[in-house]
Amino acid sequence: MIEVRNLQKSYADLVAVDRVSFSAKPGTVFGLLGPNGAGKSTTISCISGLLKPTAGSITVGGFDMASDAVKAKATLGIVPQELAIYEDLSAKDNLSYWGAAYGLKGAGLKHRVDHILNRIGLADRANDLPKEYSGGMKRRLNFGCGLVHEPRVLLLDEPTVGVDPQSRERLFELVKEEKAKGTCVLYTTHYMEEAEKLCDELAIIDHGKIIAAGTLNELRAEFGGNDIIQLTGSFELAPVEQVVAKLNADVLSVSTEVLMIAIQDGARNLPAVLQGISATGADIYDTRLSEPNLESLFLKLTGKDLRA
Amino acid sequence: MYFIAVTVVKELKRRFNDPGGLLSSIMIPFVIGFLMASVMGGGGASIKARLLVTDLDDSFVSQGILSALGQDQVADMILLEKVSLEEGDRRINEGDGSGHLVIPNDFGKAWLDREEVALQLTVNPSQYVSPRLIREMLESLLDLGDYLHKVFGEELKIISQSLESDELVGISTSVFSANITDKISGIADLVFPPVLEVEDDTPQPAGVSVGMALLMFPGILVMAAFFAANGQSSNFWIEKEKGTLSRWVASPNAFSAFWIAQWFTAMALTAIVAAPIMLAGFFYLGIGFEKYFTALLWLALTGPVLFAVLSLIQVLAPSRKAGNTISTLVMFPLLMAGGSFFPTETMPKFIAAVARYTPNGNVIEPLKGYLIGEYGASGMFSSLWVMMLVTLLLVLLTGWLSARKALA
Repeated sequence: MIEVRNLQKSYADLVAVDRVSFSAKPGTVFGLLGPNGAGKSTTISCISGLLKPTAGSITVGGFDMASDAVKAKATLGIVPQELAIYEDLSAKDNLSYWGAAYGLKGAGLKHRVDHILNRIGLADRANDLPKEYSGGMKRRLNFGCGLVHEPRVLLLDEPTVGVDPQSRERLFELVKEEKAKGTCVLYTTHYMEEAEKLCDELAIIDHGKIIAAGTLNELRAEFGGNDIIQLTGSFELAPVEQVVAKLNADVLSVSTEVLMIAIQDGARNLPAVLQGISATGADIYDTRLSEPNLESLFLKLTGKDLRA
Repeated sequence: MYFIAVTVVKELKRRFNDPGGLLSSIMIPFVIGFLMASVMGGGGASIKARLLVTDLDDSFVSQGILSALGQDQVADMILLEKVSLEEGDRRINEGDGSGHLVIPNDFGKAWLDREEVALQLTVNPSQYVSPRLIREMLESLLDLGDYLHKVFGEELKIISQSLESDELVGISTSVFSANITDKISGIADLVFPPVLEVEDDTPQPAGVSVGMALLMFPGILVMAAFFAANGQSSNFWIEKEKGTLSRWVASPNAFSAFWIAQWFTAMALTAIVAAPIMLAGFFYLGIGFEKYFTALLWLALTGPVLFAVLSLIQVLAPSRKAGNTISTLVMFPLLMAGGSFFPTETMPKFIAAVARYTPNGNVIEPLKGYLIGEYGASGMFSSLWVMMLVTLLLVLLTGWLSARKALA
């Protein structure tokens, strides 16, 4: 449903997106995960036709974005990162307008608007102006404007930024409903929990390049079955790194206060790790053992925190 | 076309959800127009000097002066009010009046006897025009009196003496009449030149008299169109900042449709804003209402040329703030030079010539010609297609430039 091949977008000497390729299928949620400034929004802007790629090709719903842009755009629904709604028009008028922008009219438009108002939980505030809404309600309306014309492909650019927990859960439900209907969803985020919760496939992007891609299990396999041990305390770096090396573990991150390592059979090896680290004179306040997650994968791949 | 119509309705809904903004677009030209018309005497009322007069003489001669000042044409400019000496002094000191004229006791006798005598005129220093008017009027009157005295001095003396006894003193009526007739015959060739009849053949427009207010009226209407256009032209930046422009670009609609919709919205807004101002103006100026809808149509179709100019400025500007600043810098000189503040008829010739090349001047002048009856609707609409074509080209250029900007 979305095919991106060798996508490149440059601004003078700055390469914002560097030969990115991926494909997303109908009825799945494809996550584009990366820190702020990694190139996620630029990628999604190229896919939605807002930016002209410097090189590469994009196909949406079977239509090439360069040569058949009108048809390609007609299949798309977009939920931009910033609120793209008219605050001086009611929720109903906003939805009606964006529905009409994709050719809906008459009873069909009215039906879709009423349906979306119910789905985003704004039916009882349909005639109020968004400037009277809370931030979460505005986000839901922003989401609804991208859904009103029943797009086959939905682009969600960090849709939960600044959203309260209740509205966030509602948005997650909407994404799952769209997926269940067969919509192809491209979801960008820098929240790992969201990606783990919603995405069937993922691509991790940093400095404009995809550094890892696959399903969550495929990405976990990058660790070769290792578990993650995170210790909080006070550490001296050099002796700690020597101990970790002796234990055949990988240091994911280390500071004077936090140590994160990847190690085979974490539960069995945890006592040896604690004994070894304590022997360096370190004080350990907290210990956590977990399976590899996206955050630890990102740490392993880039050496930096995803949220940084 | 469907989406353009939907967009126009959406834009109008947004404007109506901000009634304060819409109302100010109507009220500002109203207020400016009213002030300008008042300053330029556009309401039809002319300046009148109030002259307070204390006649201590109460003679045949002093009454003659007052009578001359009360004559039709002079009375149009000077409002005469007889007062006592005390009241006159008090009121002129309080600034209530343009001047206070005191005709001293025995003025008439002294004038008839050619003795030295003075009229006392105190003027209001806070006024400029009216005191000068009074002074010049009095000087003319005194010159006239001097000539009158030279010719009819003796006769006037006889009349003055005879007023008390109700009959001519020291002369028979027939001799008195003969003397006057002889003197008039003697100066007839000097005073009464050969009679020439001049006929003015200039065709006059029927129905409406062309006053300052009427000359200013089309400019005020275009000013309303200008305010409507200015608000609409900055919509590009508002939509860009709100992110709705991105939704637009991502939709399957052509970007030029966005600008065509903005243009049509500017037409509708111009009509909405101008309609009440035009209604009030037609009432006030007594313009026939059969011209109302034609004039409104002209304004709605051609007024958005201003929107097109301002939109181009906005799109060329690097930011919304810069766009608004440049628009304002351009807007007021255009309003001035184009004849919205001052009619071209009151401008120096070279500025009036410039006005005819400004976009608003090209809206104002045909409308003015139509409203004052210089020509009919077809005459006004003769330049419509040129105006519409210019507007369309500007809108398309703006659309092309803004698409490049949006897709950068």
